Amino acid sequence: MRRHERVIVAAGALGFVLLLEWLVRVGRLDAGLAPTPSAILDALVRLLGRPEVLASLGVTAWEALAAFLVAVPVGLLMGFTLAEVPVLSALFRPLINFLFGVPKSIFLPVFILVFGVSIPQKIAFGVFTTVFVLIVGGVAAVQSVPSELVTVSRVYGASRWQIIREIYLPAMAPILLESARLGMVFNITAVLLCEIYGARDGIGYRIASWGENLQMPQLYAALVLVATAAVAVNEALRRVEARLGSWRQPS
Amino acid sequence: MTRALVSIRAVSQQFSADGASVTALDGIDLEVPDGQFVAVVGPSGCGKSTLLSLVAGLRVPTRGAVLCDGEAITAPMPRKVGMIFQEANLLPWLSAIDNVAFPLKLRRVPKPERLQAAARMLELTGLAGFESRLPHQLSGGMKQRVAIARGLVQNPAVLLMDEPFASLDEQTRMVLGDELLRIWSETKKTVLFVTHSLNEAVYLADRVVVLSARPGRILDDVAVDLPRPRTFAMTSSERFGVLKDRIWQHIKHAERR
Repeated sequence: MRRHERVIVAAGALGFVLLLEWLVRVGRLDAGLAPTPSAILDALVRLLGRPEVLASLGVTAWEALAAFLVAVPVGLLMGFTLAEVPVLSALFRPLINFLFGVPKSIFLPVFILVFGVSIPQKIAFGVFTTVFVLIVGGVAAVQSVPSELVTVSRVYGASRWQIIREIYLPAMAPILLESARLGMVFNITAVLLCEIYGARDGIGYRIASWGENLQMPQLYAALVLVATAAVAVNEALRRVEARLGSWRQPS
Repeated sequence: MTRALVSIRAVSQQFSADGASVTALDGIDLEVPDGQFVAVVGPSGCGKSTLLSLVAGLRVPTRGAVLCDGEAITAPMPRKVGMIFQEANLLPWLSAIDNVAFPLKLRRVPKPERLQAAARMLELTGLAGFESRLPHQLSGGMKQRVAIARGLVQNPAVLLMDEPFASLDEQTRMVLGDELLRIWSETKKTVLFVTHSLNEAVYLADRVVVLSARPGRILDDVAVDLPRPRTFAMTSSERFGVLKDRIWQHIKHAERR
């Protein structure tokens, strides 16, 4: 974004917040459902001072990270295998394409039955939701490697390992990171869904209970917190992606 | 008479496509002396590219043998044979100089050494100053120059060129043709040059080998007795026309079948 565009966006956001504040204060919006932005900010500051809230954030972050660290290698490995072994691809692609399109939330009760309401259940459901994104991404990444470049490397005497390191990895890197980033979005959504649906700890669990008790400032403060964290993770991954993919032709 | 650097002896190549066996090349015999510029022409699908991939060591012939410097080629020999394709096929994430240095990197040549060699090649191909450009920042002709520099960086004795100028516009291909002749006269490589263009074949080569339609056999082996250095004016000379016509008669009959 150019500088003046940023100024416009910032001014717009500030204006919106002030408008909300005014609407609630003059009674146009129900303060019970929509607290003023200043009240939300106040709640946010107080939440960040409560150790048990920070611990809940930590639980959620741990669940999301663990699920991500399992789903990424497993999913990519499955994707690479499917891309390289036509027989397996013929066998499993229809199933994977089908499951890729099905909303994973309908399987949540099954995960509760199998794992109980527990941290492993959140991680397992996170993995289940995320892994399909990475399988599909892994297949796409392998297919994006230009075969001519492999031929060129062979002419110049590249070994199998050199072809993987010098051609496959750099060619696939942008798509791999893109899938990881997309996977993380799905992953965070899945873990929060689990927590809101039923949990003993985690920020999703707190959001659910604040909601049930009509503690709106806390609820919205938590939303701001989660949104900020999710956007930060997404942005960080996107930056790495842009750096590693800068050779791609701007289209 | 200089010794044959590349020998293609009784080479036949068969492929199986959809269960049926296709003969791409049938009994090819070709001796290429050191330093000669040989153009290979023939109707579409006659196995010209297959012939090059055999010399590149990308395939092993079904029958017969391909030798380079007396040694049978059964795998790529990157230090003896460089190859340039129709598309430049540069690694898009590497700068021009790193692309040229890539074959040396595969051989684990230390970085300063390989960058020095690559810089020399970029200079030879007229790209000094463009070292740090990424491929997408270069024009088609410049990319092909980088590919030529990459093909030459290990100082191979043989340069294989598979329609290297076919996807360039007419003017660029004429300029690059002259550049190639200059580089060739400076480096004394043995060149095997596959092309669709009869003008290009006669203008560049010492000798034009004409292949038949599939299965590819050698129909004619035309010595181009035009003096060097070649000039644009020669392309409208009578001799040029006679040579081109002789080749065209073969192609015309082969394409008609």
